[in-house]
Amino acid sequence: MDGDAGVKIDRRRFLQALAAVGVAVACGPSAAPASASPAPSTSGAVAKPVSIEWWRRNYTAGTGSAETITSDGAVKGFRDRNPNYTITIQGGPFGPETDQKFDIAILQQKAGPDVFHTTGGDVLKYAAAGQLSEPPLTATEKSDFNASALTATTYKGKVVAYPLWIVPWFEYINLDLFKERGVTPPKDGNWTYEEFLDAAKKLTFKRADGKQIYGFAHANDEFAFMLIDGGRLYDTAVKTWTFNSAEAVSGLERWVALAKEKVMPPDFLTLNPNDSQARFISGEIAILQRPSAMINVLNADPKWVYGTNWDIANFPKGKTAQTAWGGVGFIAVREQADADKKAAAHVFAKYLTGPDIGPDLKKMTPPIEYWLAPAARTSAAGIYGEYHPAKAKVAKMGSFTYVLPNVSTWAEIDQKYLRPARDAALEGKKTAKQALDEVAPTAQKLLDEANK
Amino acid sequence: MLRSSAWRVRLAHAAVTMGAAVRRHAWSYLFVLPTFALFVVFTLVPVVQAFVLSLQSARIVGGDFIGLQNFVTLAEDPVFRQALGNTILYSAVVVAAQLTLALVVASLIQPLGPRSQTFYRALFYLPLVNSAILVAMVWRWIFNANPYGLANTVLGVFGLQPLLWIGSSDQALAAVILSAVLTIPGGGVVLYSAAMGSLPKELYEAAEVEGAGALTKWWYITVPLLKPTTLYLLVVYTILAFQIFERVYVMTNGGGPNNATITIVQLIYSTAFQFGRYGLASAMAVVLFIMAVAVAVVQFRSLRSDVEY
Repeated sequence: MDGDAGVKIDRRRFLQALAAVGVAVACGPSAAPASASPAPSTSGAVAKPVSIEWWRRNYTAGTGSAETITSDGAVKGFRDRNPNYTITIQGGPFGPETDQKFDIAILQQKAGPDVFHTTGGDVLKYAAAGQLSEPPLTATEKSDFNASALTATTYKGKVVAYPLWIVPWFEYINLDLFKERGVTPPKDGNWTYEEFLDAAKKLTFKRADGKQIYGFAHANDEFAFMLIDGGRLYDTAVKTWTFNSAEAVSGLERWVALAKEKVMPPDFLTLNPNDSQARFISGEIAILQRPSAMINVLNADPKWVYGTNWDIANFPKGKTAQTAWGGVGFIAVREQADADKKAAAHVFAKYLTGPDIGPDLKKMTPPIEYWLAPAARTSAAGIYGEYHPAKAKVAKMGSFTYVLPNVSTWAEIDQKYLRPARDAALEGKKTAKQALDEVAPTAQKLLDEANK
Repeated sequence: MLRSSAWRVRLAHAAVTMGAAVRRHAWSYLFVLPTFALFVVFTLVPVVQAFVLSLQSARIVGGDFIGLQNFVTLAEDPVFRQALGNTILYSAVVVAAQLTLALVVASLIQPLGPRSQTFYRALFYLPLVNSAILVAMVWRWIFNANPYGLANTVLGVFGLQPLLWIGSSDQALAAVILSAVLTIPGGGVVLYSAAMGSLPKELYEAAEVEGAGALTKWWYITVPLLKPTTLYLLVVYTILAFQIFERVYVMTNGGGPNNATITIVQLIYSTAFQFGRYGLASAMAVVLFIMAVAVAVVQFRSLRSDVEY
């Protein structure tokens, strides 16, 4: 009897205990590999051997990723010029895990890479923590860099990293669809917004077999239309949020017009880059807004012949001068006590961002296209255009590409507030002005926080 | 004075009892030690650390003590309030639906023969071995806003217009909820099925003698006797629902149009790992913890029963 009762109580309590443990466990809380590769460095001024570590996102030894091929080539080219240096490359996928790995190494452990590839807000974050070594650039070298790219690497008046390249966003156009609908492609890649909208409308149609074609798509990853009438995120001093100006509102209204005209696929608010590219390649999209990396994707596909099936065009022009939207990549050197390593890292960083690396890698067998986007240095920019006729067009875009200024709280402004507001306008739930006005106070607060 | 003495006596008694227990089960504690140590290091300490961080303006390189400021910030943040509302709505609908589905499916399996029971239990449980990310990617395709999305194809068969599903801020959360509701909870089916197998036959025989039909027996005998299992599943499913992340992240690019599908864990992820605000993210985790505990306590109190069999 007692025994029976004990068993019964135990079972019930067991289930209750399991549930209780579930509560406790539920409320409790994970970089990638490296590969040794040859070594490297520049000027020959350092005679004694020095080993340094280069952290490069998306590098995985032995694979065919563009980052891996160009990084291995860069190390080889550097070592040919500087046999005393040894460089080890450490990789990691693009994404928050690798970002965190960088943060922990650089900010917490004050160790890790001697030289590393980075973007946007990270530069300011590391500079603010005193973890970046100032590049020893001469006045002549500084004047060789794209001014907006150099500004994007400036922290409290000092250049804290080497601008590597500028990645512009522009329009890829499917010439077959243009031909099918009798639409004339923009001459020399130039068109006004009105011409662009008119083309997008004509290119949105349903074939006899029921296949729906859309005139235009983007991958939900930029604000280019909001720039074409002169709207800018901040004032020139990056102290005041100005993305609710009449120009920005007008730009957003042009974007909203595309949604109203239904020239974009119905899932345009959640369309990711891979899906958008896949749909362009499958012939469902006539005009696709993507950055320069897609050129290599199309070149790798034998069905897509440049000039026959596809071409590129500038961003449609609004009320102001030709504008494009772009981002900047940087090479940074970590501040550290070891003067030899630091000096070697700077020599290598200069090589990675300078005019010699492109020709060095082009001479290799097989030739390597080092520049995945137009170089941020004028003296290094020419070779990108030599890789491919489409890239020659892209190389000219740098002069009118608006590079997002570095603001450490930008990700929060963008993802948490600006994109949802933009979505509300594109869905017709708010006017463009309402949407942008609502964001402004919070964005200003976050900008002030970044400027503290 | 008297009260103080009584406490001393009680404390002394407790110490003696504990000492005796330790002496009696000393080896047992040794065996439990490795697991307990892992629990402390990988669960308990992080939870405590989250509580500490929630009171700091913590970034990757530390931060200052700011008291309850993070919680004030959360209270004033419309995005957090939206995430909170979405999480509660998702949990309420999904948990209710999953419990009901698990109970109904297990009840339908129960009358079958042993081999069939085993087959169907395995059938419903096996999908759980799939990666949650893959499952979410399939649902993303099902609820694609284009006419070729499976859901829209089905609507088309019935002559209905396609919906925007995850492409619209009005429909995205409903689509995410629907994707969870339509996924039969295999674990619940197995647990209910096992529990039903151990229910005493005499009660059903007595009910039959009284003329009770199948539905009456199910409602008045099966469902009440399964209360302990229901309580367990309710608590576990609620916690899992509170932690909804990958489905939202994959199906709607991490929050959907106009933050329509943003949930607390999604916001914790972006606040910590994209915005670098570890203190604020920890405060959100604390809120989630308190929610889970509070809901579990209510569930325990309302469903705890003395039903024995």
